[in-house]
Amino acid sequence: MSTIIRAKGLSKSYGSFEALKSVDFTVERGKIVGLVGPNGAGKTTVLKAILGLTSFDGELEVLGLNPAGQRDDLMKRVCFIADVAVLPKWLKVKDAVEFVTEVHPHFNLERAKHFLNKTNIKWDSKVKELSKGMIVQLHLALVMSIEAELLVLDEPTLGLDILYRKEFYNQLLAEFFDEGRSILVTTHQIEEVENLLTDLIFIREGQIVLDASMDEVAESYVEVMVSRENVEQAKALNPLIERDVFGRKVYLFEGVPVEQLQEIGEVNSPSVADLFVAKMKEGK
Amino acid sequence: MRTFKALVKREYWEHRGAMFITPTAMTVFFAALLILGLITSSNIEINGDDFSLLNKMPQLVEQIDNHSEEEVDKVVQLALYSPIVIFGFVMFWVGIFYAVGCLYDERKDRSILFWKSLPLSDTQTVLSKFFTVIVVIPVLYFCALLVFQIYSLIFGTVLLWFGGDSGLIVWSSSNLFVVAFNSLMGLIISNLWLAPLWGWLMFASAWAKKVAILWGTLPVLLVGIAEGTIFNSTEFLEMVGVHIARGGIVATASINNLEKDGYVLDMDLTSPFQAFAFSEFWIGLVVAAVFLAGAIYIRRNRDEA
Repeated sequence: MSTIIRAKGLSKSYGSFEALKSVDFTVERGKIVGLVGPNGAGKTTVLKAILGLTSFDGELEVLGLNPAGQRDDLMKRVCFIADVAVLPKWLKVKDAVEFVTEVHPHFNLERAKHFLNKTNIKWDSKVKELSKGMIVQLHLALVMSIEAELLVLDEPTLGLDILYRKEFYNQLLAEFFDEGRSILVTTHQIEEVENLLTDLIFIREGQIVLDASMDEVAESYVEVMVSRENVEQAKALNPLIERDVFGRKVYLFEGVPVEQLQEIGEVNSPSVADLFVAKMKEGK
Repeated sequence: MRTFKALVKREYWEHRGAMFITPTAMTVFFAALLILGLITSSNIEINGDDFSLLNKMPQLVEQIDNHSEEEVDKVVQLALYSPIVIFGFVMFWVGIFYAVGCLYDERKDRSILFWKSLPLSDTQTVLSKFFTVIVVIPVLYFCALLVFQIYSLIFGTVLLWFGGDSGLIVWSSSNLFVVAFNSLMGLIISNLWLAPLWGWLMFASAWAKKVAILWGTLPVLLVGIAEGTIFNSTEFLEMVGVHIARGGIVATASINNLEKDGYVLDMDLTSPFQAFAFSEFWIGLVVAAVFLAGAIYIRRNRDEA
């Protein structure tokens, strides 16, 4: 019951192109999982498979249901924000709220009103009259008022200015997330979600190259700023990647004991962005 | 049921212009036209002949007495039924554009991803759109038509007052409830008659990659051209054309009942309900069901952008 998503041998091909090459992963309840990868790595395919928006090979269970065959039941318990452009322009705010109230068994109208009243969105406005930031606020208000067990976000803040982006995640954490729920998010703006995530999945060319909790990541990956005299020593320890910072070398290590690294330089936790770059370049 | 109602309401919100404003504007336009005609006629005088309708009313009222009750009934009811021709014609085109856009536009603006984020089945969604074209649009056009019919009766009554008559005869001859019921049934049953057309257009709408209207029309033309080239015949296009034209006959059956024009297209209806007696009607429903099933299948299985 504590596992929300279970994928085993999940594959998907578009013609001869393998978008997903037999991928295994799980998402547990109460986690915020970041699914990160470059364009075309298969992120969106994973999300679409989870949401029953595309066919797939292999095994995939979301809340114990098969997304391909039991979509209607699944969507009572799963919510998603694809991106900001998908609310229809002709829809009025009040009609959007009414519609979701009518069709969604787990929608809480009072919550939606509460969220919307905190914004500048007018009840009678049409979506096309709202700014991009307001559309996201509206969409988020609708989604957060649904008692969903899994929320899937695909680049939810794309094209938003920084104020709205911060607000978006803050609100999600404060008003929606609890240990009964999980959030799966893909984004290019890794820095934005870095402090939010409990788990991290990196995907590259249809394969998972990292699947770990943030604690595990902090334990296994260490960044060391090395002065010139210790460079050879550092290289001998097989760093994942090297980069230059103000004339000094910074190395990223995987699974090397911290004590050993402290001897050759200044030890730090790597940012997810740096880790991402290292993982994407690994073996190339 | 609650979900289906919400889905139908959703269609109305999106297409309020075509479903509500257009028929309302037609009623207002024709109502104004009647008054305008009256005013214009009052100002026309040719060679000393007075064309003013109002001045002629006393004469007309006298003439009514010379006619049998049936004849008066017929004139009044024909006047009430006749706007069906134009309301039905506009409704037909509204239906065409609605059906061809209803499963395409949501993909074009990507709002399908919002609808698909809610617990709505593809079957419910497609059927709600079909229901809209079969029932909701005809009912709304009927409402506008009914307002115009009642307005026409009031207009006729006032005219008769100028002839010194009470005008009651207009109402007693109108058989308004029957006329209204037959008008409504004419509009609904003719759209049911056209079910295979709506089904096909919705299928094309779900299937189209670009410019849905072309996906709706070109395959039909191509089949026609292919038939012409291979068999040197035009059976297919004739069948399509005749079926669509017969939809118009179904809608105007009540007019035909009052004023027989000699029947066209081998179809002589005196009531829209007689459409049910044609196997063509039932085959059409089966064809529509096949296309709708196809539309549902495509909407469910299509990889969204």
